[in-house]
Parts: sequence; C-alpha cells; structure tokens
Amino acid sequence: MIEFRGVNKWFGALHVLKDITLSIEPREVVVICGPSGSGKSTLIRCVNGLETTKDGDLIVDGQRVGDPATNMTDLRAEIGFVFQSFNLYPHKTALENVTLAPIHVRKIARSTAEAAGRELLARVGLADKFNAYPSELSGGQQQRVAIARCLCMRPKIMLFDEPTSALDPEMISEVLDVMVSVAEEGMTMMVVTHEMGFARKVAQRVVFMDAGGIVESGTPEDFFSHPKTDRSRAFLSKILRH
Amino acid sequence: MIWQQFQGLIGSYPLALRGLGMTVALSLISLVLGTLIGFALGIVRTGSNQLISRVIGAWVDLIRGTPFLVQIFLIFFILPELGIELDAFTAGIIALSNLAACFICEIVAAGIRAVPNGQVEAALASGLSRRQRIQQVVLPQAMRMSLPPLVGQYVLLIKDSSVVSAIGLTDLTRVGWLVVQRVPNGLLVFAIVGVGYFIVCYPLILLARKLERRMGTAHGEVQL
Repeated sequence: MIEFRGVNKWFGALHVLKDITLSIEPREVVVICGPSGSGKSTLIRCVNGLETTKDGDLIVDGQRVGDPATNMTDLRAEIGFVFQSFNLYPHKTALENVTLAPIHVRKIARSTAEAAGRELLARVGLADKFNAYPSELSGGQQQRVAIARCLCMRPKIMLFDEPTSALDPEMISEVLDVMVSVAEEGMTMMVVTHEMGFARKVAQRVVFMDAGGIVESGTPEDFFSHPKTDRSRAFLSKILRH
Repeated sequence: MIWQQFQGLIGSYPLALRGLGMTVALSLISLVLGTLIGFALGIVRTGSNQLISRVIGAWVDLIRGTPFLVQIFLIFFILPELGIELDAFTAGIIALSNLAACFICEIVAAGIRAVPNGQVEAALASGLSRRQRIQQVVLPQAMRMSLPPLVGQYVLLIKDSSVVSAIGLTDLTRVGWLVVQRVPNGLLVFAIVGVGYFIVCYPLILLARKLERRMGTAHGEVQL
C-alpha cells in the first residue's frame, strides 16, 4: 500500500531522510518512533506529498508520489492526515469541517455528507458538538473532529503525525481510543507517536528512526522487550522510565 | 455681510449637491473596481508564480511611492498622446481605481499571508484543489483579518478622490473652489466642504470600528 524504496531527502545541506526502504501492507498499522529530529514527521509527510523527496521511489496506492503523471490532488483525497496541531478550519463548525472535502472533492450531496458527518462525529463522541466552532472545543475534542474529518472522505490510508503530542494528558486517551477503533476496522495506518501503549495494542510493526534513517523495525513485542541496538535501548529507557 | 454670504451659500446648494454626487459616484465606482482588481492582484501576488508576483509588487510600490496628483496628471495627459481619448471622469476612475487596487492588493496579500500554513496543509491533505483551498479555507480567514483595514482604506481613498478636482471634475472640492469665487469666505465654504466629506466617511469609520470589535469576539482565533 505504501512503499519506500531508497528514498532520500535533504533540507539544504541537512540529510533528513537517509536511504529509507519500508513497505506497508494494506490493513497494516505501523508505528514510527524515534527521538525528535529523527525524520519521522518528514517521512510521514512525504507519503501524501506535503514534503517532496529527492531520489528513490515512493509508491502509494499504486501511484508514484512526485511523478508528474500522478494527480496528487486525487491521491491525497484517498489519504487522511491527522496533524499534531489539529488544523481545524476555525471559521467552520465541527460539522462543516467534516463535510467540506466530501462535498467539494467527492461531490457528494450536502444532505448525504451531513448525515455521514453527523454519524462520524457521534462515533468519536461528539454528537452534541455538531455546531460548535473549533475555538469552543478542547484539544482532545478538536483532534477527534480532525479524525472524523479524515474518515468522512473514506480514505484508504490514514497518517497520524504525533496526534496526541499537543494534548493535555487527560485528553490523550480519548483520542487514542478513537484511533484504536479506526485501526480495528482494518484501516492502513502510519502513526508517528510515542504512545507505546497504543503501539502494543494495535500496531503490527514498530519502526524506530534516528538521524534520518530506519535503525530497527519489528513487532511491538520484540521491539519493546528485546531492542536490538544501543540507540533504541537508549530511546526506550528514556520514554518508558516515566 | 455674513447674511449675504449665507444667502450666496444657500443659492449654491444645487452645485454642492452635484459635487457631492460626483464625489460619491467617483468613489463608489472606483472602490468597487479597485476592490475587485485588488483582491485578484492580492491572490495572484501570494501565488506560486514568482515573476508575476514581483511585477505586481513593483507596480504597487511605484503607485504607493508617487503622489496621486502626479498619477492623475500622467493618466489624463499622457494616455491621449498615445491615442487613447478619455474624458476627465474616466481618467479619474482609472486613477482612483488603480490606487485603490494597489492598496487593497497589499491588505489582501497580508491577510492571506497571515493564515497559518497548517490551514493550507490541512486543505491540501484533504484533496481540495487550489481554487477550493483559496475559496473555502484561505480567503474566508484572510477576509476576517483584512476587513477592518479594508474599510479604513476606503475612507482614505474617498478623501483622496478630492485630487480629481485638479483635472476639472466638479467634485465636492472643486465646488468649494467655485463657490469661494462667489462667496469670498474661504473658511466657511471649506468648512462646509469638510462636513460633506465627513458625512460620507463617518459611517465607514463607524463600520470599521464595529468590524474590528467583532473580530475580537469572532470564532476566528487561530488554534495552536
């Protein structure tokens, strides 16, 4: 579903992605972790073309990202992206946030889109917030609207870029619960997160990155219990100590 | 003598109304045209084409950096040399619309640049086309920020319209000059002219203030 073959990327002189080779199967949930600045956000942002790659191949849903022959707008419609800072549209209500792309990109009738949007907002526990503006919602509620906004497009792939990092601790679980339910429905997911409980629960694979490269990858059980490299051991000791 | 002057002034009221009508017509047409062109320029200015953006930037700087009186003379006296016949009213409309477009372009561009990048990324990631991203996500937020300075700019432009009297248009200011020849009391006449402009501008000043206040309580605050 997502395939990186020898992908490199530079920010000026900084080599931020080093020879990335990674293949993600349909319905697979992969957690990407690593210290800050390791390139994990950049990696996930390449998948829907928010960042461009320098060389190597990146094939998503059978289409080559960055190829002039690939219609990136069409490809992006198939990929949900959840941001660390939510990025809800502040001038639109929760329901309008969720239905904007289905109405304008998928050309679904407004009434149909609104019915689907209400159903999804109810599913993420926001049945009483259809007409609330983002500024009236808590961070956890905003992030759940953002997830519903992606789901309403019926995407084939969902990408999460540190979805709980900007949240107060008591709001993290309400967002993770929604993500778990999405994973359990068989969505193909790439999740940048340090939430190891989430990784253990639903991820088939954990990929550990450091300094722009993939250092190690394995099942959550293997990775957490028997990290193979010094760098992953050092990283795990830091995040698991708390 | 004051009494005679008042009678002279009262006798001039049809002329004053004509002047007021000219000022309002000139301002209204120019502001509508200037707003439309200014928005288009502002959108293109913040677009991806560097060359077009630079050309617009240079034009805006040129217009903002030269006196309006000079611009009006250039348009009124040079265009006919190039074989383009135009009357004073058309020349006034062109000059004032151009000035308005340049200022409004910068206001709109500043509003667009102030929309957080994450908003564009969210719209991009959901598969919205460029036109849809601008229409649905960027412009509504940019508008919220641009509206108070935009209305404030309208007030300045209406006052700038007084410069068109220099090419012979009978606007409010020129009526002042005409009346003063009949009623030799400059202070009184131009005080009344000032009141005329104030009557046109004050509602806009109030509107700008109201918009600014409403912005503070709107749902437009950026969430981070």
